[in-house]
Amino acid sequence: SSNEHKLNFKKSKEACLNYIQDALLQKQWKRAAEFLTCYVESLEKDYSREHIGPSELIWRIGTEILWHHSQSNMKEFNCFMEQMKTLGVKRYLKVCLEHVFHLLCNGQIDEAYQNLSLAESWRFGEQTAIQDKEMKMIQAYRGLLDYCSWSKQKNILLEHGEDGFSDLAVEQEMHGYFRKAAVNLKEIIKIPGVWDVFVRCYVDLLEFYGDHNEARQVLNEYAYNSKFPANPNAHVYLYQFLKRQGESKKSLISALKILHDIVPSHELMIDFNTMLQKSKKREKRRVGLEVIFATLDYAGWKENAKAWSCLSRQVKQIVISEKHLDWIKQEWNSRKDWWPAFHFSRYLAKRNWQENKSLSYEKALVAGILLGKGLFFF
Amino acid sequence: MEFPAALFPSYFDVGPPREEGGPAPVAGWGEHGQVLEGGPGRRQVQPAFVPRRGATGERWEAADAAAVPVLLPSEDCWIPSPAPQDILYRSSLCRKLQPGKSGATLDFARQLGHFFVDHPEDAFGSLGRLLHKNFYLGNAKLKVIVSRNSTIRMTALVEDIDRLEARRGCPRQHLAPRLRWFSHLCRDWLFEVPLGLLADCLHEELTQQWSSLLFDDSLTGGALAWLPPEDGVTSVGRLVHPGGQALNHLYFQDVVLEELPHTRGSPAQFELSGRIQQVAAARVDGQDFVGVRSDYHCGVWRVPGKTRAAPAPLQVIRTDVPASCLTVSPHLPGELSVCTQSGTVYLWSIETGLQQLRHDPQTMFFRDHSPWRWSDFTAHPRVLSCADRTGLQCLDARAPKRCHFDLFKVGEEAGCQQGERVVLPMYLGRAHPSQHLVTTQFSVYVLDERLPLVPVLKWAHMMKAPPLFAHVMPGKQGRSHKVLLGASRTQELLLLQYRDSFWGVSSGGSQSACQLVGTPQKLHSIAGCLQHLPTQLPHRHHLLQQRLTAPAAGLAATLQEDEPHKSMLIFQLSEAGDVFCQRLTHKAAQPPAPTSRDEATTAPGSSPLFEAPASSPHGLGALRYRRWLRALSRACREPARHTWLPSLSQRRLFTRRDLEGPAGPSSLQRQMHQRLRQTMQEGGCIQCWEPLALQPPPLPQTLEPAGGPDPLSTRLTAAWAGDWEQWWEERSSFSVAQRQRALRERRRRQKRAQGRRSLSASFTSSLTYQSELSELSDMGPSLLSPGRPPILSQEGSPPAGSPPVHSPPASPAPDEALLSSQSLRCRGIPKERRKTLRDYLSVWAEGPPEPPEPLGSQASQLCIPSSQSQLSSASQPRRKRPRMGF
Repeated sequence: SSNEHKLNFKKSKEACLNYIQDALLQKQWKRAAEFLTCYVESLEKDYSREHIGPSELIWRIGTEILWHHSQSNMKEFNCFMEQMKTLGVKRYLKVCLEHVFHLLCNGQIDEAYQNLSLAESWRFGEQTAIQDKEMKMIQAYRGLLDYCSWSKQKNILLEHGEDGFSDLAVEQEMHGYFRKAAVNLKEIIKIPGVWDVFVRCYVDLLEFYGDHNEARQVLNEYAYNSKFPANPNAHVYLYQFLKRQGESKKSLISALKILHDIVPSHELMIDFNTMLQKSKKREKRRVGLEVIFATLDYAGWKENAKAWSCLSRQVKQIVISEKHLDWIKQEWNSRKDWWPAFHFSRYLAKRNWQENKSLSYEKALVAGILLGKGLFFF
Repeated sequence: MEFPAALFPSYFDVGPPREEGGPAPVAGWGEHGQVLEGGPGRRQVQPAFVPRRGATGERWEAADAAAVPVLLPSEDCWIPSPAPQDILYRSSLCRKLQPGKSGATLDFARQLGHFFVDHPEDAFGSLGRLLHKNFYLGNAKLKVIVSRNSTIRMTALVEDIDRLEARRGCPRQHLAPRLRWFSHLCRDWLFEVPLGLLADCLHEELTQQWSSLLFDDSLTGGALAWLPPEDGVTSVGRLVHPGGQALNHLYFQDVVLEELPHTRGSPAQFELSGRIQQVAAARVDGQDFVGVRSDYHCGVWRVPGKTRAAPAPLQVIRTDVPASCLTVSPHLPGELSVCTQSGTVYLWSIETGLQQLRHDPQTMFFRDHSPWRWSDFTAHPRVLSCADRTGLQCLDARAPKRCHFDLFKVGEEAGCQQGERVVLPMYLGRAHPSQHLVTTQFSVYVLDERLPLVPVLKWAHMMKAPPLFAHVMPGKQGRSHKVLLGASRTQELLLLQYRDSFWGVSSGGSQSACQLVGTPQKLHSIAGCLQHLPTQLPHRHHLLQQRLTAPAAGLAATLQEDEPHKSMLIFQLSEAGDVFCQRLTHKAAQPPAPTSRDEATTAPGSSPLFEAPASSPHGLGALRYRRWLRALSRACREPARHTWLPSLSQRRLFTRRDLEGPAGPSSLQRQMHQRLRQTMQEGGCIQCWEPLALQPPPLPQTLEPAGGPDPLSTRLTAAWAGDWEQWWEERSSFSVAQRQRALRERRRRQKRAQGRRSLSASFTSSLTYQSELSELSDMGPSLLSPGRPPILSQEGSPPAGSPPVHSPPASPAPDEALLSSQSLRCRGIPKERRKTLRDYLSVWAEGPPEPPEPLGSQASQLCIPSSQSQLSSASQPRRKRPRMGF
């Protein structure tokens, strides 16, 4: 009969969970809270071998309710989180991290920092792979908060510096923050992942202290290491860094060329096109034409007046100079079966004219050149 | 479209998923996921952080208590698709069916039997004609000597078959030798189609039916589309939906969007040659292109936007292998993409015809058995996405062999779980030109083409069935995009919101990393209205329930933003062809208003839908329901004669003897019944059928009124006439009085008998007897009020003493109330006895009662559910009394 008891217990537990789920999905936080107080009983006799145990269930549901319940407050939330942390060893770091996120979103930066420091010093037996990742994440976020403090101190110093007054203690403190932030940030960006925020902060630190080589290395690694995902932002950061450093056009172009290969529809392609168009080399101008054509292939650019003006300017230039008309022909050959319907339909002509006259002019010019006599854009 | 300046941090691993999977009931709650620093200005004193999930979203609230029908049910009656109980072996139904486990036993023999009965010509045509002179099926003996030589009397054989059916599931079932002999003789030559071949085909069909019952992916995408009014000028849109008995008619119905959307005019109708599985639509250059997929045909229609002109069919293609996907290009007019189950992807252009982009029967990233394929468009009109259960790839139609990249992989890259599979991919072009939605049975992902493999958003949706339908409503000017997810079998509908610009309109709404905002919200399902409908007669209720719980087959929605009250209309299509609609209204951002109203209205039992006055919008919904119900009952009355009565065969409810007449079984029969039951309970065998000498004389049938038509036929007459309730009222008040008299009479007799009792009878049992009887006689009509008809029906309906119709002693609800420890405590039952009592009572709550013993003990049974439970616990030792006497 103990088996039967277990079965009954399981059944009522499931029913209770269903009620909670139902209430949550209908935003009935009070009802959900009442059911949850009953569900807590399931902690006592945890027979389940499921992938999410009751303690995690309670943590998740409780958090969700406390986020939305009209009578909850931050103090209660913190108290609940502390209890949840002690409920399961396996999830300690995860709960800590989530707690910190909530504090951060509510502007309690100092409390969040304390929690991060506490979590970082936590040790329990051998760490699993997931816990290892979570620990690294905790350290990275602490690095981020250290960076924020550093940046605050820096601003104070800069303001004071303008008055011709420097505070040694503040400066000392700032350097302290730098060291702490740099150590943690450096660690996480070695691991494959998307670390836009961390990379940006780390590069900012390095640039401030004049370590440009290290910064360049970090950005190159982030952009070109094949273990990392093909993140357009990595290339954007590198390009921006090179621009700040006043690098040659050539290296800027090569950085953007790679971005073009990954994401032909990136908004930097307009800059890229302008840069190439200004170039004296014939080949580069040709690439510029390819770039702007490729950009306008994408639905997101369909009504972008800037892109159309880039194209019309270059096409006009080519037609007037009567050189390299074959460039246009080549580009057009692969598009002639679908660009007319995609860009130059009668319906679009009418709508563009109503909505954006300048766009309409640019498109009409391009259409006139590309479609020749069979023009029906107007 | 800009790429967000910074994305949420995440790890990136490669390889197969490591996390052990399984449906996690609450995995989507209580997590921010990650936070990102990003404020309106960089020069702030405090950095501001935004979460990946959990920011506040828009508030949408359901305007009505349930979804409301948009269309009247069609004229022809709907044939429900097979349910598990139709094809499963009966005894295995008792075991709980667990999804994913293929331990189900299919009822092969029954289906084969159905085939023989339904298609005798195909099964035994020629030999049947040859032999029919030689088979005699009458009851009479064969007398003519001439025919005797060449004619066999088959009646006994048929009786044997009937008996076999009746003994189904009995462990001591033996094949009748006569049957075995016959089947041995004729197995090889009787059948038109060789039996082995037929069985193979049937078995294949059965397993296929079963797997489609577990998960039917042919409906992916949904067969409902909404064509919004041109530029929102008018409020007349078009609903494209399938209809007809086999869902093979395509309707284009004008719908006026008002408080409740209503149809206008009669729909444009097309009859197709197959069941419509999917309806996809996209608007290009002010014209709607509607693609329709059935298993072997795909067609495309053009609906001119402005003039409200009739839809024009453009082209149809036929496929050899069932098509699994059809999507319409949002970029170029008259372009579609088609996938077939053989693993082929085509770009279909009205002008240039079909272009094969890929042919690969294997799945892309790892091996999976499913032949399902999907394809959709991307931000680049020449690049298409192709999907199977393992992931998504994008390929360039201009050079499909060379130019392709992986967009999504079921693997560690996206943080998937083991066993996770792609269910529905969708291009979110209307919300963001380079984003895609991918749903799996566990999670929902938003992907950006510009950053392949890494989902920009991931959330565990916690739905009970995999979401086969999705619909996106773009939020303009930095407002959140709304995504609707719909499941088929469970009819679940879930509303999610996500945002790809943090700071809203005020700061220009620049692009930023994707965030899931607000909380997911469950919407009304079609079946949800059942609890609000007025009480129906049982068989009609069953019909209605079957109709309303039919799996969902499609989903469409529209936002109305021009009004002062923004609202969202959601249409849901069911497999029965019904289209239901619900309205959500937008609540301006306000502190969480008192939600007590919402929580009160959803309390079980209350039905605001039907309580509201007719003038209010709720009343409008009620009116709509009444009309729908009336039309449904009209439509189903005609076929009811054909389909309903035979399936509820009388033979299952009553034995033949019941139907023949009121004469009860003889005392001998009753003895035999009792012996049989007892032996069955003990699991023994009956060796000899000699009646035992020591049997009490049968009690007179005191409970039946003398004269007049027998109660069974009056009851049936009343039930067919529809005034069964009234009959019941009369009957119950009458029989209560009757029974009281009978009980008093018996008590007197038993008192007399007690005097003669031997002393060996235990003292306690006689004591309980006493108390029980005293309580019984106190029990007046107030306790046996008609509020509890099921208790009485056990006693009152069949002729006393005949094998009774087994109905549960009481509806489960009062029993559960009885069993709860609180109610037991209220009754003052000590704690240690509560469990015993609960165990005992649970017997009554679970199944049909134990076979009633002869009338002598029926009094105690009668009072268990209605009188105090103390009594029933006291009657426990008494049940063992016969043994103590031995």
